[in-house]
Amino acid sequence: MSAPVGTVAPSSTPTIRATLRRSVFWVVAGAGALLVAAIAFLATSASGAAGPPLAADNPAQAGSMALVEVLRQQGVTVVPVDTLGDAAAATAGHPNATVFFADIEGYLVADQLAEVGVLADRIVVADPNFATLQALAPEVGFGGLSPEDALVASCDVPAAVQAGKISPGGKTLGLAADAPGYTACFPGDDGTFSLVERVTSDGTITLVADTAVFANEKIATFGNAALALNLLGAGDTVIWYLPTLADVPVTGPPSLGALTPGWVTPVMVLLVFTAIAAMIWRGRRFGPLVAENLPVVVRASETMEGRARLYARGNARLRAVDALRIGAVTRLAGTAGLPRTAPLAEVIRSVAALTGRPPEQVAAVLVSEIPQSDAGLMSLSAAIDDLEAATVLAARPAGSGPSPPAAPSTGRMEP
Amino acid sequence: MALTGRFVLLVALGVVPIVVLGDTVASALAVLAAWLLLCLVLGILDLALAASPRALRVARVLPSRVRLGETVTSELYLTNEGARRLRGVVRDGWQPSAGAGNNRTAVSLPAGERRLIALTLRPTRRGERTAAHVTVRAGGPLGLFARQATLHAPARIRVLPPFHSRKHLPSRISRLKELDGRTSVLVRGQGTEFDSLREYVRGDDVRSIDWRATARRNDVVVRTWRPERDRRIVIVIDTGRTSAARVADEPRLDTAFEAALLLAALASQAGDRVDFLAWDRRVRASVQGASGAELLSRMVDGMALIEPELIEMDWLALPGQVRGITAQHALVVLITPMDAPGASTGLLSVLGQLTQRHTVLVASVTDPTVAELIHVRNDRADVYRAASAERTMLDSARVAAAVRQLGADIVTATPEKLPPALADRYIALKAAGRL
Repeated sequence: MSAPVGTVAPSSTPTIRATLRRSVFWVVAGAGALLVAAIAFLATSASGAAGPPLAADNPAQAGSMALVEVLRQQGVTVVPVDTLGDAAAATAGHPNATVFFADIEGYLVADQLAEVGVLADRIVVADPNFATLQALAPEVGFGGLSPEDALVASCDVPAAVQAGKISPGGKTLGLAADAPGYTACFPGDDGTFSLVERVTSDGTITLVADTAVFANEKIATFGNAALALNLLGAGDTVIWYLPTLADVPVTGPPSLGALTPGWVTPVMVLLVFTAIAAMIWRGRRFGPLVAENLPVVVRASETMEGRARLYARGNARLRAVDALRIGAVTRLAGTAGLPRTAPLAEVIRSVAALTGRPPEQVAAVLVSEIPQSDAGLMSLSAAIDDLEAATVLAARPAGSGPSPPAAPSTGRMEP
Repeated sequence: MALTGRFVLLVALGVVPIVVLGDTVASALAVLAAWLLLCLVLGILDLALAASPRALRVARVLPSRVRLGETVTSELYLTNEGARRLRGVVRDGWQPSAGAGNNRTAVSLPAGERRLIALTLRPTRRGERTAAHVTVRAGGPLGLFARQATLHAPARIRVLPPFHSRKHLPSRISRLKELDGRTSVLVRGQGTEFDSLREYVRGDDVRSIDWRATARRNDVVVRTWRPERDRRIVIVIDTGRTSAARVADEPRLDTAFEAALLLAALASQAGDRVDFLAWDRRVRASVQGASGAELLSRMVDGMALIEPELIEMDWLALPGQVRGITAQHALVVLITPMDAPGASTGLLSVLGQLTQRHTVLVASVTDPTVAELIHVRNDRADVYRAASAERTMLDSARVAAAVRQLGADIVTATPEKLPPALADRYIALKAAGRL
């Protein structure tokens, strides 16, 4: 048989080129959205309060990039360090350095803080916490927030004198009036000060309670800038030491990360790529689905079941038993050889005669008894069934054999 | 395009070089990037070397009809018009009920050659089964990436009603012949049309001796009779919402088709004219003026596309439709559900009109489970169900009584028994000369 040659069938699958051409708008739009998001992120991070506070490279409001840049312009070398070890190495390289120190997160313990105290001759501590005060200036306590409108130097520390005033409203330190070796400036009420300087044989330690003096946000107000520059600009080098997690002493066995070989993370990334490839492999369908209109499926006995549930829910016992009785009487009339239209009394009489049961009992089963409960309904339904079976048995001619009762008529006898 | 399992395996194999060569995180990441790049390059190379699935010529050879339950072979010819050998898999997009199974066929198609893809269809539903397209996935020589295209290649096959009841046909035809007086068994008086006179042979019924003709000749002559011929039969099938219900896992409509086909086959064999009408609110199918084999083929063709409509049957327009088919006296067979007095009001309202002019026979499917449920009385729910079943049967008995009162005849039976019961009733009516 010669088969037809056929035609080159038009394809409904777009080619790769067509797909690219169609999706060019979305590619461009996606790239544009990414670009806008990146610009927005950079803009917000420049003006927002994000980033570590007082960090030398943080241009946000809490950072100190402004101060560091001005120091660098003045020829001061600023060396940011993260750990105590780095700080010690840096001060060893620059013996005349000033150390700026702020342990805002409280990473260091007492021993380390004692080491900080002997790093250099000049140490400026911003926002000292309790442990820092215990280690470096045990006589100094906390003074709460300053309620003053303006903080005036009122002391003979040169940097404070040159600054004159600093921004009010920050934290303060408390100091007893007769503590030896301490100089306190910018007094608030009741023996609180914003700046405390302690001079010992090891060197000078300056405690500045308020970080606003160094932070970008308020450095340009009052004499903040003058105070900060004068405190830090005395030498030619500033070691900018902000402790990090690396300063926390390691205890216990080495961490999981230290024990993990280098290839574990790349292998996990590779597994992710493998999973994506497997998803594409299994997820690519083999051509579109072919639609089909399915027919409605309704069982014909659905209405009958529904009516049975309605009877049961409404406890319609009498109605149910009536239906059973009417059907049974019709069949009994047939069994007893009476016409379908035979009167009920005649059917009862014939059935009673056939089965040898008292007519009153037959009438009770077929007519008069009213079921009062579900148990009564059950027993009455069983009695009707029993009467039918007995009638069928009695109506059968003798010697026809012990065959099971004849199949019940459907009640739709054809003429 | 599509990926293969081999490509996924290739990507996963990158574990080996990463573990062997990647001592530190940085070097391992570099190996990872290099491996992914290698996979991608190999894949794109494979894709570029794969044959184009678009350069295919598609041709189909398919019979136009198949009977439900039988199998048919769908032939799909693919000609490779491209320059490269196409290795891949082909899927022929048939509807699920066309019974094509999991039709994934591997093909190797050299350039310029043609291959046959034979697919065995075993439809599971009546009606028009269609195929929309052919999907071809052509792999590259490395088996990493594949090109895939869906080609527009429509096809359709009409699935006819199964006509299972034709197994009852031979026995009914032989009973028809008994009526005809052509067999040795003479059934005197059954026929109503005078056929001919012939000489008496021993065994003939003496009551059929025609004495007048015997007096004219010197021989004893008997009359022969034959059943009436060339009567009209109009089969009307209700395709409204009630015909959608399933009895014994078969829609009532399909049972009606079986019964109608058996009756039509029998009646056209008996020499009667059969007209067929499927009706709800409009004519779904109509066959008029056909006879013999053409009648049956036109009927199954029309029935194939009919599905039950979820609308109410328009009984009032039915007498007009029957009058449009024939103005003479006819046997009108209405195949319709007859369940509840409420639902049958429409039927009862027009039955009087029809019985005035025609002999009307109403055929209806009954649910065998209803009769069984009457005697299942094990618990409370069963008793209520038995009562409900009894009520259902009483309802249909009332409808049947009303139908009889209006002068129509009734046949009710379970789905598998309705077609022979209808055929038997037809034979009985014919024997009684009521057509």
